[in-house]
Amino acid sequence: MNCFEARQEFSALWRKTLASDRRTDLLAHLKECEKCDHAFRVFALTAPVLHGDVERQAPRASRPARREFSLADRPRRFASVSREVSRPNRWMSMAAAAAIFVFATSAAYLSTRAPSESLAEALSAPESSMTSETAGDPLAPEMPSTESDLAS
Amino acid sequence: MSAKPDEELITEVLGGDTDAFTELAGRHRPRVERLCRRFFSDEEMARDIAQESFIRAYTALATYRAEMPFGGWLRAIVVNLCYDELRRRRRRPEELVGDFSAPEVQWMQTANVASPEDLVGEAEERREAYDLAHRLLDTLKPEDRMVMVLKESEDLSVSEIAETLGWSEAKVKIRAFRARQALRKQAERMLAAGRNR
Repeated sequence: MNCFEARQEFSALWRKTLASDRRTDLLAHLKECEKCDHAFRVFALTAPVLHGDVERQAPRASRPARREFSLADRPRRFASVSREVSRPNRWMSMAAAAAIFVFATSAAYLSTRAPSESLAEALSAPESSMTSETAGDPLAPEMPSTESDLAS
Repeated sequence: MSAKPDEELITEVLGGDTDAFTELAGRHRPRVERLCRRFFSDEEMARDIAQESFIRAYTALATYRAEMPFGGWLRAIVVNLCYDELRRRRRRPEELVGDFSAPEVQWMQTANVASPEDLVGEAEERREAYDLAHRLLDTLKPEDRMVMVLKESEDLSVSEIAETLGWSEAKVKIRAFRARQALRKQAERMLAAGRNR
């Protein structure tokens, strides 16, 4: 067995799936070859996770009994995922509520400011009534009182 | 009575039979949990990710296409969840933390002197061997760790890894090369630390 072949078999040796004759060859090679022996020691440091039986390493106390799948059994750490998914819906409902509020307040405001007289009545109102409304207002434009005023 | 094939169970689930998914999940759960344990030493985390993977598979089952085996499709979900979690943690220490416990130091010393056969046997019995291996793998970038686990543990080919992760084959090869280099460097340091104590 050469070095390349030996290193290809590290995983099988760790998993104990190597045929006995290959295993004997590999162990003999590791005894003779210092570089491959060192490479196997480096390999051995990560092999418990990458090639080992990770189930065996789970602490007995935390080993679950065979559980059945349940949609209700969602891990708490992923609960935020569903909240994120529903976030657009929450914004939509908030926007709808704001729109209803704006519409309702606008309607209420307009109902209190609605003119008490009809349009026809307003158009036929005498000029005096218009001037009397602005009489006390110094910023109100001066109303023309005579035809000569209008002409000028 | 012979077990129903995955595809038949999937058809039943899509027809509204949730019990069929329970059977499907039970069938794939050991493999899924084993894969999660290769990414996380925290048992609870590994189990939570496995459970979340099944929930996501259930909700996305209508998108499953029978061209690929259900196991491969499910593995892609698991791997992507693990990848997200590794990235979320943002734990990318360049160096190993030096504060080793006494059993960990003892294991590092064993790794220097024991025969290969004894190393295999001892590693199985010692939790610290498992924990130290996780610490070593924690030094890798998430992308590198994904490639290492899929290649070394799941025995996937470069093209299969590329398909699972949605990467190019060239990227997978580069990541695998870098991951091996980085891991060897850290493992050499660990072995040296074991010799010097």
